[in-house]
Amino acid sequence: MIEASLHRIHLPRGTIVSAQVGAEIKPDEVIGLRRGAMAPVRVPVTRPLHRQPGEIEELLVVKPGDRVEAEQPLALVEGGGVVLAPVAGLVLAASGRDGTLLLAPLAAEESVIGHVRGRVRAVEEGSLVIEVPAARLQGVGGSGEAVHGELVVGVPNPGDELRAAAIDAGATGKILVGGSRASAETLTRARAMGVAGIVLGGVLDKELRDFEAIQRRRREAGGMTGAFGILLVEGFGKVGIDPQLFAWFRTHAGRVASLFGADGLLYVYDAAPLPTRRALARVGDRVIAHRRPFQGRGGVLVGMLEDLHAAQSGIPARMALVRFEDGRLAPVPLANIEATVLPEGR
Amino acid sequence: MTTQAPAREQGRATAELSLLVDIGSAWTKAAVVGRALGRWRIVAHAAQPSAWDEDELIATLAGRLAGAADARVSRRIAALLADAPRIAVHTPARPGRIALGAVSSELSGQAARRAAEAAGWVVVEAVTVDDGRPVVERLSALQSAEVDAWLIAGGFDEEGGEGALEVAGLVAAARGGGRSPVVWAGSAGLTERVAAFFEPGVLRTVANPRPSADRENLLPLRRYLDGLIERLVERGAARQLAPIGFVRAVAELARASRLRVVGVDLGARYATWASADENGMAESRVVALGGLAAPMLTAPGGPQRIARTLPVAIDELAVADALQNLRARPGSIPQTEEELAVVHGAARHLLAELAANGPQPRGIDLLIGSGRTIGSAPLPAQAMQLLLDGIRPVGIVQVAIDPAGALGPLGALRDDEIVEGLGTLRDDLLTPLGAAVVCRGGRTGHLSMRVTVHRVGWRSLGPIEVRPGQLEVVPLPRGQVAELEIELDPGVSLGAPRRTRRLHASVSGGAVGVVLDARDAPLILPRRSDDRRAVLSAWRDTFQREVRPPAEGAA
Repeated sequence: MIEASLHRIHLPRGTIVSAQVGAEIKPDEVIGLRRGAMAPVRVPVTRPLHRQPGEIEELLVVKPGDRVEAEQPLALVEGGGVVLAPVAGLVLAASGRDGTLLLAPLAAEESVIGHVRGRVRAVEEGSLVIEVPAARLQGVGGSGEAVHGELVVGVPNPGDELRAAAIDAGATGKILVGGSRASAETLTRARAMGVAGIVLGGVLDKELRDFEAIQRRRREAGGMTGAFGILLVEGFGKVGIDPQLFAWFRTHAGRVASLFGADGLLYVYDAAPLPTRRALARVGDRVIAHRRPFQGRGGVLVGMLEDLHAAQSGIPARMALVRFEDGRLAPVPLANIEATVLPEGR
Repeated sequence: MTTQAPAREQGRATAELSLLVDIGSAWTKAAVVGRALGRWRIVAHAAQPSAWDEDELIATLAGRLAGAADARVSRRIAALLADAPRIAVHTPARPGRIALGAVSSELSGQAARRAAEAAGWVVVEAVTVDDGRPVVERLSALQSAEVDAWLIAGGFDEEGGEGALEVAGLVAAARGGGRSPVVWAGSAGLTERVAAFFEPGVLRTVANPRPSADRENLLPLRRYLDGLIERLVERGAARQLAPIGFVRAVAELARASRLRVVGVDLGARYATWASADENGMAESRVVALGGLAAPMLTAPGGPQRIARTLPVAIDELAVADALQNLRARPGSIPQTEEELAVVHGAARHLLAELAANGPQPRGIDLLIGSGRTIGSAPLPAQAMQLLLDGIRPVGIVQVAIDPAGALGPLGALRDDEIVEGLGTLRDDLLTPLGAAVVCRGGRTGHLSMRVTVHRVGWRSLGPIEVRPGQLEVVPLPRGQVAELEIELDPGVSLGAPRRTRRLHASVSGGAVGVVLDARDAPLILPRRSDDRRAVLSAWRDTFQREVRPPAEGAA
């Protein structure tokens, strides 16, 4: 049985929330409406009223920060004329130099989607708190937007690299579970093919940066459609997904998941509990190493060395003796491993 | 903080113990204070990832004490430690987030940002009239920011300024109502007009940090933001915050010792710079994202800058991955020499940033390094090099580290208790690394300084000649005092303006000795990568090689 976790959806300012406390929401459900601002226009104020630019503040009936509707009075002279808002917008500034008002017209209404399934627990200033009954995986990093889609495993083994050629039209709208890394080319292709998100064990910082730079340039050039998120589970570099976790993903292929790239977070619905991690490993535990030269490798903690011992770096540390899955036996700082625990406690 | 010791059981041997605990975002440091031979001492200390449970920490401390404790209590030492009174500080659970709107990025924007960051705020979005973005983009950026408060700055006090009103209007439009406070730190003449943009009671006015083009006045804004973060983010527990405790302890240490003290605490998330004069007047800078997980390290260009300062050849891509892993798993430790080199490179860079923007005293008598990377460096010489390379404290300075991380918890005591605590633990609190003579300038082909070390009861060493770009390490063990006779080249400075090129100074030794450092400030490195690495590895080797005395002079 999965315990529900609380998820906070950050709402851009100006969002009018339509979801009510207690309501059940779906990942693609509209939870609010928002009108963004467009490039501002200057509305002449003093000239139509035959006044000097320096007198603008005395004439205004609105102030910077106000939201106005079309045809709403912006300024008036008693017994004289009135200046009406040409469009609905946000008042940004009044200029005493040229007697104009800077007004940012409101764009068409956009739907705000939560990308999660659950029950609305609270509506707060700037956020919505949702109770999400799903398996929750917190990664070590990520990138991109909130997305949701069906889980698909994209590589045969957890240590395999996700190749661009492995992504086809069948992955459109899906969240793809990759392996130990994906190049910038693969990520770019995935986005172009309409993949919603990718879950990776590791990624090279350089590849991720290159991908983000490509996306930024495309955004600036316009024409970028659809959201895309990346979740990083283990670390940076070429790092495979823990085989236990990978096996869990395999058994949950086809389930709907929500991925929050910037938060490094994944929810999988209608799922069995995830294998968990425990920071302090004990003798007999299955462990995973997090630092080089064993980063991402799994093994069993077979013993603890007495007293402090220097790691290769010279830092004195409590050392664990780990029998790695490739048969090697190596001392590893206890702080650099985590126990991986199956839900049944195995 | 006052704590009660548990009642003693009748007729059963017990021990007077207390714990100083600093719960960091990545590592928890604990020191056991106990009576040894009638004196209060730090009798054991340990650190572990904060994700581990407390029982483990107690067991580790008990293990360290097991061999040394009285046989009557040694079997119950874990229970005694678990019940011992403790003074604890912690890293703030989360930093305060602020959005900044300013007129110019170089003047008002920079001043306001520095004041906010010094108070521990993270500026999550900053817009300025001259940032090159269209107005709609600025508005959208502010609307998307998740913040606890808003800060508006701009306009000189005498002149007012349309730009400041424009940016205040933009913030008002982006904020769109709500409870989040808005701080106006701009032109005094515009206060009423800016206040009219917001609901009554929302705007708080603070003195302009940039009242004129040639004057900066950050302190009032900094102090106001200090209080605001306490009210909004960490209600009512400021003294138990590690950065605040650290600053208070440094201030009291300066007052008690009548020295000008600079303390730097480099953690996983926070970096704290505390500078205090002989009267205990402290200035500080608390940077919420200034620790080893700082985003600036992994931002574009960051890994390249770090890679350039490494004495070993590690390519930029590997440096970038190592830095990201450091950020992703701050509770782990560098396992390989390459990883340690990257971590130390990052630490030097962060210390340099902290020093460049931190309040600067008129010379430093004592420089203290704290935080796991510095305090637990594998070799004392590495800690010394981190501090000297990063901070470049020009002058004659004693250098020490806080290996147990005890300064923060001591700073959580009441003012009078801090002094008492510092006095009681004076021999154990800091580990002296030695002294350093750091000079600025130098002329190619000339000596930077010629130093003779006169040691009490020993033959004098030197004169030791140090050329520009060089450094020498002279042995001077802990507890030993030496008189330095320094002859400076006319092109070289020790910070303060001096008429004479000859001066004398008294220094005391430590785990490293006396470092004569003529590498200039800031450090100047060759452009070619091979030459640069050769210079950097030579400096590293000079610090780390077993120190041998140079030619001995007359007694």
